[in-house]
Amino acid sequence: MATKSEASLNLDLLHRLKSTEPPVWLAPRAELSETARKASKIIFSYLRPYAPKSPLDQLLIEGFDAEQIWQQIDLQSQPLLSSLKREVKKFEKKPEEIGKIREVLEGEKKVVESVGKVLEGERRVLAVESDDFDEDLDDGLDDDDDDDDDDDEEEEEEEEVEGSEGEEEKKGKGGPEGGIEDEFLKINELQEYLEEDEAREYGLKKDSNDSRKKGGRRVLDNEEDEDEDEDEDEEDEDEEELGVFGDSDDNEEEDEHRQKLENAGYEDFFGKLEEDSGLDDEEDEDEAVETKKNDNLSTHEKQSEQLRAEIEKMEKANLDPKTWTMQGEVTAAQRPKNSALEVDLDFQHNVRPAPVITEEFTASLEEMIKKRIIEGQFDDVEKAASLPSKAPRELKELDENKSKKGLAEVYEEEYVQKTNPAAAPLTFSDEQKKEASMLFKKLCLKLDALSHFHFTPKPVIEDMSIQANVPALAMEEIAPVAVSDAAMLAPEEVFAGRGDVKEEAELTKAERKRRRASKKRKFKAEATKRMTAKKARDNTLLNDNDGDYLIFS
Amino acid sequence: MQSSMDVETVSSQTQNEPGPLPPKPLFEPLKAHEMSDGRVQFRKVNVPPHRYSPLKKVWMDIYTPIFEQMKIDIRMNLKARRVELKTRADTPDISNLQKCADFVHAFMLGFDVIDAIALLRLDELYVESFEIKDVKTLRGEHLSRAIGRLSGKGGKTKFAIENATKTRIVIADTKIHILGSFANIKIARDSLCSLILGSPAGKVYSKLRAVTARLAERF
Repeated sequence: MATKSEASLNLDLLHRLKSTEPPVWLAPRAELSETARKASKIIFSYLRPYAPKSPLDQLLIEGFDAEQIWQQIDLQSQPLLSSLKREVKKFEKKPEEIGKIREVLEGEKKVVESVGKVLEGERRVLAVESDDFDEDLDDGLDDDDDDDDDDDEEEEEEEEVEGSEGEEEKKGKGGPEGGIEDEFLKINELQEYLEEDEAREYGLKKDSNDSRKKGGRRVLDNEEDEDEDEDEDEEDEDEEELGVFGDSDDNEEEDEHRQKLENAGYEDFFGKLEEDSGLDDEEDEDEAVETKKNDNLSTHEKQSEQLRAEIEKMEKANLDPKTWTMQGEVTAAQRPKNSALEVDLDFQHNVRPAPVITEEFTASLEEMIKKRIIEGQFDDVEKAASLPSKAPRELKELDENKSKKGLAEVYEEEYVQKTNPAAAPLTFSDEQKKEASMLFKKLCLKLDALSHFHFTPKPVIEDMSIQANVPALAMEEIAPVAVSDAAMLAPEEVFAGRGDVKEEAELTKAERKRRRASKKRKFKAEATKRMTAKKARDNTLLNDNDGDYLIFS
Repeated sequence: MQSSMDVETVSSQTQNEPGPLPPKPLFEPLKAHEMSDGRVQFRKVNVPPHRYSPLKKVWMDIYTPIFEQMKIDIRMNLKARRVELKTRADTPDISNLQKCADFVHAFMLGFDVIDAIALLRLDELYVESFEIKDVKTLRGEHLSRAIGRLSGKGGKTKFAIENATKTRIVIADTKIHILGSFANIKIARDSLCSLILGSPAGKVYSKLRAVTARLAERF
């Protein structure tokens, strides 16, 4: 640590360097180089507190050439630069935090001094811690208040608290015991970090921590510490109580910062990973964050926020499973009960609706039926007459009799038919046709006679024999069978008898007498016949009476 | 032989140069008699014993057309049981002799005169003979049954085939003779062969009907 005298000496050196003319630098000079070296060593030691991870405590200048010294400086400055850039970015986001630094700085300075006094015995620890305190001043405590990093920082704060407490104890015991441990890798810190991580996964410490974020850091820290006391192991509590530094609350911030820087993890650089258990926490946090932010946003930012919210909503809707109406084929089991009633379904009915049967309908039907019956217009299915595609082939009948014609005649006929069809004699089929036509004509005649609405004369058939006896009138008239045809009778049928037919007036006396005599003779013959028949009957009756008497009674 | 050559006298004037060639000689066609150098041609037809008495019955029917229309001399050699035919001087065509010989031969095979006469009248009629054993070797009962199948009851199958195909068929024990034109003989032969091989008559009838209908349609 630079005292006031040393500080003035350093300044002197720097001034000297600054005042030399540029041309003087061209030639190498021992005193200039010496001055420069010392000045750089002083600057190095100034910066050393802010680069905790650099391997060099101070700039080694004796016996080292320019290149080596430059390398040492580079070693220190590289991480320093990156950390500075980070701090500047943080300030960009939260400019109002810069104002708070001053108070903290002043407070911390006092703390630093008090701390330094207490821990004179443990130099190494003090040196480290003092470096850390200085770093705290520069890093800016306001970063913890940032939304995104709040969680991480809180965790780290907690870790730092634990780690720092553990470290204090273990360091007090006596420096690095194993070869593994050194300034950068502290196994105790690692273990505490892991425990903290596990607790974070399974517990919801953060909710309570986040909600109580507002207000002074120190109050928060106190609360956090209390929470930690409740949630963490007894070790922590023990460490807290032990509280080497007395005012543990004040020290927590610095410790946390130190721990945070030393145990920078993924979350520091890339933000906190989302977890299932922590989702709700994050949402709550986001809401809290948004309400805070809206006050300070411009219109454009508000619009973009709205858009983003909308987009998020739509994306969420896309990811969720669709409603049953938007899904394809949905059976009744897949949708809520009676849900189809509420929705206006639109589909085509491919079936004609059944006709409504009313009285008018039936009456109209019956009217139509009656009308049709009166007209006689029935829609009967009529058989369509099938047209013959071609003339039916003449089926040649096989004659199984010995042919009467000789072979020569057969060929002769064939030849004649080929050459002169007209002169060809009738074939067997032709004769049959002739016979068939004759029979049909006879049949037709008879049928016409039966139904003689229209007069049809007898067809002239050459072969038929004409009855000469029948009078001409009868020939013309086609009388039905029922009418008696007395005229058609033959004379013998009219009167069948002997030739002498005379009336009473025409008879002569002798003939009259003769007739009477013959009559008498006949009568007498008949009478005698009757008498004999009667006698025979009486005899039989007399004989039979005895026998029949019994029967009659 | 009277030469009917016309010889042109060569004029003395044109003796130096060779004269025009004599015209081509024109010969009248040879008479049957003149053929084979004026010698007479004979044909002899054997008479089998079972045709002897039928021949005696219808001798005049055979003799008359041959002698009158064909102008061929015909005689019966009783001792040798032969019918002998000879060309005459006025035989118009040499083929007449052969036709007459075929006619007589057909009668000897068993055909009727009225059927055999067709041979005289038409050129394109032939007689084809084959045996049942040429178609299928049948023995004893089978042979008898085959013959019965061929003829049919009362000969109706044979007559059916004859009428349908315009041929005449003679079934002489195991020999079958068919008289008719070439195509008709073929149809008749196919029907007979199928009958020999065992197909029923109804099947043969249906085939016959189809074939003859086709034949008739063609004209």
